[in-house]
Amino acid sequence: MADYKAPLTDMQYLFREILPWETLQELPGYQELDTELADAVLEEGARFSEEVLAPVNRSGDEQGCRLEAGRVHTPEGFPDAYQRYARGGWPAINCDPEHGGQGLPRTLSFLLEEMVCGANLSFGIYQLLTQGAYHAINIHGSEELKSTYLEALASGRWAGTMCLTEPQSGTDLGLLRSRATPIEAGGYRLTGSKIFISAGDHDLTENIIHLVLARTPDAPAGVRGISLFVVPARQLNEDGSPGKDNGISCSALEHKMGIRASSTCVLSFEDAQAELLGELHGGLRGMFTMMNLARLSVGVQGIGIAGAAYHAAVTYARERLQGRDLHGARFPEQAADPLMVHPDIRRMLLTMRAWTEGARALILRVAAALDVSLEHPDPECRRDNHEFVSLMTPIVKSLCTDIGFDVANLAVQIYGGHGYIRENGVEQYVRDARITQIYEGANGIQALDLVGRKLPEHTGRNLRHFFHPLQANLESWQQEPQLQQLVEPLAKAFGRLQRATAQLALKGLQDPVQAAAPASEYLRLFGLVAIGQSWVQMAESCLQPESQPNPAFCQAKLDTASFYMRHILPLSSGLFASIMAGADALEAFDEDAF
Amino acid sequence: MAIRKVGVIGAGVMGAGIAAHISNAGIPVVLLDRAGEKGGPSLAQQAIGKLLKSKPAAFMSRHNARLITAGVLEQDLEVLADADWIIEAVSEDLALKHSIYRQIAQVRKRGAMVSSNTSTIPLTALVKGLPRSFQCNFLITHFFNPPRYMRLLEVVSGEKTSTHGLKKVLQFADQALGKGVVHCNDTPGFIANRIGGFWLQCALLEAIDLGLTIEEADAVCGRPMGIPKTGVFGLMDLIGLDLMPRILSSLCSLLPASDALQEISDIPALLTGLIEGGYTGRKGKGGFYRLKISEKGRHKEVLDLQSGEYRCPEKPRLESLVAAKSSLQALLEHPDRGGLYASRVLLRTLAYTTSLATEIANDIATIDQAVRLGYNWRYGPFELIDQLGAKWLVGRLEGEGIAVPPALADAARSAGFYREEAGVREHLNAKGHYQESARADGIYTLSDAKLGAKAVAANAGAKLWDIGDGVLCLEFCSKMNSLDPDILGMLMQTVADLPKSHQALVIHNEGTNFSVGANLGLLLFASNIAAWSEVEGLVKAGQDAYTALKYAPFPVVGAPAGMALGGGCELLLHCDAIQAHSETYMGLVETGVGLVPAWGGCKELLGRMSRNPRRPRGPIPPVQGAFELIAEARVSTSAAEAQEGGFLGPRDRVSMNPERLLADAKALALSLAPKYKPPEPFVFQLPGPSGRAALELAIKSFHRRGLATDHDVRVAGKLAWVLSGGDQEGPCTETQLLALERAAFVELARHPDTITRVEYMLENGKPLRN
Repeated sequence: MADYKAPLTDMQYLFREILPWETLQELPGYQELDTELADAVLEEGARFSEEVLAPVNRSGDEQGCRLEAGRVHTPEGFPDAYQRYARGGWPAINCDPEHGGQGLPRTLSFLLEEMVCGANLSFGIYQLLTQGAYHAINIHGSEELKSTYLEALASGRWAGTMCLTEPQSGTDLGLLRSRATPIEAGGYRLTGSKIFISAGDHDLTENIIHLVLARTPDAPAGVRGISLFVVPARQLNEDGSPGKDNGISCSALEHKMGIRASSTCVLSFEDAQAELLGELHGGLRGMFTMMNLARLSVGVQGIGIAGAAYHAAVTYARERLQGRDLHGARFPEQAADPLMVHPDIRRMLLTMRAWTEGARALILRVAAALDVSLEHPDPECRRDNHEFVSLMTPIVKSLCTDIGFDVANLAVQIYGGHGYIRENGVEQYVRDARITQIYEGANGIQALDLVGRKLPEHTGRNLRHFFHPLQANLESWQQEPQLQQLVEPLAKAFGRLQRATAQLALKGLQDPVQAAAPASEYLRLFGLVAIGQSWVQMAESCLQPESQPNPAFCQAKLDTASFYMRHILPLSSGLFASIMAGADALEAFDEDAF
Repeated sequence: MAIRKVGVIGAGVMGAGIAAHISNAGIPVVLLDRAGEKGGPSLAQQAIGKLLKSKPAAFMSRHNARLITAGVLEQDLEVLADADWIIEAVSEDLALKHSIYRQIAQVRKRGAMVSSNTSTIPLTALVKGLPRSFQCNFLITHFFNPPRYMRLLEVVSGEKTSTHGLKKVLQFADQALGKGVVHCNDTPGFIANRIGGFWLQCALLEAIDLGLTIEEADAVCGRPMGIPKTGVFGLMDLIGLDLMPRILSSLCSLLPASDALQEISDIPALLTGLIEGGYTGRKGKGGFYRLKISEKGRHKEVLDLQSGEYRCPEKPRLESLVAAKSSLQALLEHPDRGGLYASRVLLRTLAYTTSLATEIANDIATIDQAVRLGYNWRYGPFELIDQLGAKWLVGRLEGEGIAVPPALADAARSAGFYREEAGVREHLNAKGHYQESARADGIYTLSDAKLGAKAVAANAGAKLWDIGDGVLCLEFCSKMNSLDPDILGMLMQTVADLPKSHQALVIHNEGTNFSVGANLGLLLFASNIAAWSEVEGLVKAGQDAYTALKYAPFPVVGAPAGMALGGGCELLLHCDAIQAHSETYMGLVETGVGLVPAWGGCKELLGRMSRNPRRPRGPIPPVQGAFELIAEARVSTSAAEAQEGGFLGPRDRVSMNPERLLADAKALALSLAPKYKPPEPFVFQLPGPSGRAALELAIKSFHRRGLATDHDVRVAGKLAWVLSGGDQEGPCTETQLLALERAAFVELARHPDTITRVEYMLENGKPLRN
C-alpha cells in the first residue's frame, strides 16, 4: 500500500492564508510566531510522522498489545518510536515554557496531532491522554501538584490517563462507584475498578499518572458527588522519582476492532494513594476540561485518518489500471486506463477530498478561537471565543469522526477486493476510525450536547458567534461576482440552518424529545454549513489562481469548493426536511414491534 | 345614603395611610391629630408631607393629597359633623379611645358610622359604657399596613351594630377602597394576626433552635409554602422588629393561659438586643437584613444568628429545598434541617389554626381569605392542609405528639376542607357538612368562571373562557404572560370565530402582572441566529393581530391588573376600552431594551395624544407627548397616573377591587355591544423631518449632559423618525405608520448594543444602559 504522506502543503496553506494571523500574534506569548517557524515545525512533524510513526502502524495493528505478568507490552517498535518522540520534544509542543514546554498555540499542535494520528492512530492515543492530564492538572491543580507532575508530563517522561468508565457507568457518570477515602495523613486512598482505560498500562514511560473519578464516603448521589483524583501508577519517592507500585493492576486487555496497538485496560485500584484535583465534588468540571479538549482532538484524529485514507486512495486510483474511459481509451498504449478516469471513482475521490480539506479548515478555525479563548487579555473576547469553541466542539467531534470513517470506507471501496484484504492496510483505517465515533462521548451524545446544552445556553448566545460572522461573510461575499456560484448555495443552506435552529429551539422548549430526535441530523446540517463557510473562505483566498504562487493548488481548491457546493452541500435539503418532520414518526412506533 | 366624606382620627402611619387610600377612591377626608410644636405644622399636616414622600407611594396620584384636610383634634372637631364615616386610628390605649369616642359622639351627624382600627382590643371592651345610639353605629375596621396595598380589611361588628350602617361601610370598603372584607369574631388579634403572629413567633424560635441561617429559614418558610420570599425574617424587618413583641404581649394578655401561643411567647434575647440597639428593621438601622452602602454600591447583608454580626448573604444549599420543588409534602418529609424546620413550623401553625376554626370566624373560607390577604400567602392554612392531605397531616401530628383538632379529624374523614361541586366551591362547615362559600354580591373572578367549565378554545399560550351573557374572556397562560405567537394566533382565531356565537370580548387574567410584554427570549434567539426575516415576521404578526382586534366587529375591553408593559400595553391601547384595576402599571418600555414599540404602540399612543382635546393643537404636540412617554420608558405607578399620562382615555374605567374587575369589564363590554361599530381608521397629520429635527435637538442635549448614552441617542432617533412620520411630512395612514415602526424595530434589533440590552434584561430582569 501507499506510504503515509502528511498533507503538508494544505496545512501550510491554511496556516498562511486562512488563519487570522494578527489575532494569534496579538496573544501574549505568541508574538514570536511566524509562518517560517510554523512551516519548519510542520515540516519536521511531517517527516517524523512519515518516517518514524507510519512504519510501525501496520505491524502494531498485527501484533497488538500483550498483557504479561500483569504488565502491558506495546508492539515492537513502539517504545523506540516513543523515545524518539519524547526526545524530539513533541509532547511539550503546546505546554507551558514554565514546565519545559514550547508554548506553541493549539492551532499548530492540532495540525501536528493530525499528522501523528494519520500516520498511527494507536500511537496518537498515548500522547493525547498525556496532554489531557497535563492540562487538567495545569488548570485545576494546586501549585504542589503542578510542580510534582507537569514537567515530567510535558517532557514525555511520564504518561497520563483519564479513568472514567466503570462496568455499570458509561455515558451515565452518576452511577460511579469507585471510592476515595480520606486518610489522616492527608490525601486519599482510592479503591475501585475502571474499564476501557486507554493507555491504562504500557511500557513507554517510567510512570503513568491516572486521573480518576471517584466518590468520597459522604458525597451526595449523582454527578454532583464526583471528585477527581491524581493517582500515579508508581508512588513517588521523596525526590519525586517513581518508587513502588501504588496498588493499581491491569487485570485484562480489551480485544478490539481497531486501534489494536493502543492498550485498552481493565484497571483495578486497591487502596491506591490519591490526591484530590480541583474542588471536592467538583470532579465533573475538571473532567470536562480534559473532555472538551479531548473531544476536539478526537475530531482531529478523524481527519488524520481521512487524510491518510484519501492519500492512499488517490495513489491507488492513479496506479491501478482497470477499464476504459467512457469517452474512449485515455491510454491506448496500456492494457487499461487508471481507475481515476471513471466518474464514480472521481465522485468518491472528490467527496473524500472535499470533506477532508473542508473539515481541516474548520478545525483550524476552531483551534484559533481556542487559542484566543485561553490567552487573550480581554475577558470579553475570551468569553466570546470560548462560547464559539464550546458550540463547535460537539460538531467538530462528531462530524469529523464521521468524515474519518466515511472517507476510510470510501478508500476501501476504491481499492475494491484489494482493500478488503489486510495486506494493503486500508481496512485498518476503517477499523481504527470506528472508535473515534464512539469514545469521548458517542456522536449521538455530541448531538444532544449541541441541541440540549449549547443551543439554549444564554438564549442562544453561543450561536451568535457562528451565525453573525457567517451572515456578515455572506453579505460581503455576495458583492464578489466570482464567488456567486459558491455563495448562493451556501446562503440557501444557511437559511435552512436558521429555520431548523429556530424550530428546534421552539419545539425543544415545549418537549425535549422534539429537540433530541433530530439532533444528529441537525448537527450534520450545522457541520455542512460550517464546512461550506470554510470552503468559500478558501476559495476567496485562491481567486485568480494564475496570478498565485501555486496556480495548480489554487485551481484545485476552487474546483473542490465547487464540487462541495454542488454535490455535498445539497445534502442539507434532505436533512432539513427530516429535521422539520420532528419526532412523531420516531415516537409513534410501537416498542413491542421492534 | 352613600359615604361621601370620611374622617380619620390619628395621623400615625396607619391613620395617615388610611386617609391617603380614601383619597385614592376620590373621597374627601379630614385627618385629625394633635397640634404640632408651637407655631409649627400640626401632626396631621406633617403626616400628609410624609405621605407624599412615602415608598411605596401611599397616593395613587399626588393630586389626591388635596382631598385630605388636616386638622387639630381639640380645635377642629366640628369638621367631623358632615362625615359619613369616622375612623379612629389612635394608639392602643383604651382610655384614650374612649375619650375620643365621647368627643365624636358630640359632633357626629345622625347615622354617621364610627369604627376603630384597633388590632387587638375586643369590640366589647371598646363600646363598654357608651350610649346605645353610639354602639348602633360602631364597628371595628382593621386595616393592614400599608393600607393602599394590603387588601385585607378585618371587620368586627357588635350585637347592636345596625345592619344598614354596617352594610354601608362594607360596601364602601369593598367597592370604593377595593378591600377584601373579612368578618371576624370578636376575639383577640382577630384572624390574620392571631395566626400570622403564631406562625412568625414559631418560625423565629425554631430557626434559632435548629441553628438555621436566616437565608435558609426564609428560603424554607417562603416560596415552597406559597409565602412571599421575604419569608420570616424579611417580613419581620418589614413590619418592624419592635412591633412583634408588642403584638405578642398584648395578645397573650387577652388569651387564656391554655392557648398554644402562650407556650411560645418568650422573646429571644437576640431580638430584645436588636430592638434595644435600634435595629428595628427597615424603619431603623436595619434588622435581620440591612442594606450596606459602600464604595462598591449598595448590597444586602444578613445577620449571622450565631455570631450576631452582619455578613454577606449566602445562597442556601439544602437538599430539602430541592425536594420542595416537587411538592410541599416532600419538603416536610425531608430529613435535613430545612425539612425539619418546615415541618416543625408548618405542622404547629396548621394545627393551631385548625383548633381555632370555630372560635375566630364563621367559617374556614374566611380564615383562609384573611391569611391570604393579610400575609400575602398564596394559599390559606386550610388550603395548605388540603394540598398536604388532611389524613397525612393527622398522621404527622400524631407522630409528633401534637393534639389533632376535631375540625381536622372531620376533614380527614371527609374529602378535605374544600370541594368543588357542580361548578361551585364548597367548604366544610363546623357541623362537618359542605356548604357554599358566601361572598359579597357582584364579585365574579375568572377563577369563578373556570370552575367546572371547559375552555372554549385553548393553545399553549392562551385560553378563551365563556363568562356569560355572550361575552368571552381571553386569558394569557404563557410563562409570565409574555406575548408569543400562540397568543397572537389565539387573538386572530378569536376575531374570526367570536361573532359566530358571542357579542363581546374581555382580555384579562389573574396573574400578578397582566403582561410584561412580548417574549424577548424568542426575539433574542432569532437575533442570535441572525434570522432577521423571522424577527420582522414576529413584528408583523403582532401588528396584524392587534389591528385585527381593533377592527373586529365586536367590542373588546382590556382588563389589566399589575404591570402592562411593552406589548402588553400596546394590546390594551388597541382595545375599544380599558377597565383597569387601580393598581395597573402601564408603559411602553421598549427603549429600555434598545427597541421601539412596533406592535402599533407608537401609532396608538400618537392617536390618543392627537385626539386628546386637552392638548394643544397642531402636528407637533402629540408627537412630542408620545415621544417623551416612550423615549423615557415611563411607567405609570397606578391607573390614576396612567390616566394623567395619557395611556388611559375618556372611555376607560378603573376598578378598585380586583375581584370586581372582570365583572366591571364585562359590563363595560356589554354596554358597548348594542349597534357596535368598529372605529374608523385614523389619518395622522405628522410633521416629518422638521419635527424630527426638533426632537433630535432634545436628544442631543440629553447626550451632551451625559444623560443619554450613544445607543440611547440611536434608539431615540429612530423613535423620533417613526413618530414624526418618517421622511415625509403631512398625512400618514395607520398602515404607513406601522411600516415605519417595523422598519425601525428591525433595524434596531440588528444592532449589537440592542442585542446586549435584550440579553441583559432576560438574564438580570432589569435594563442595561449601554
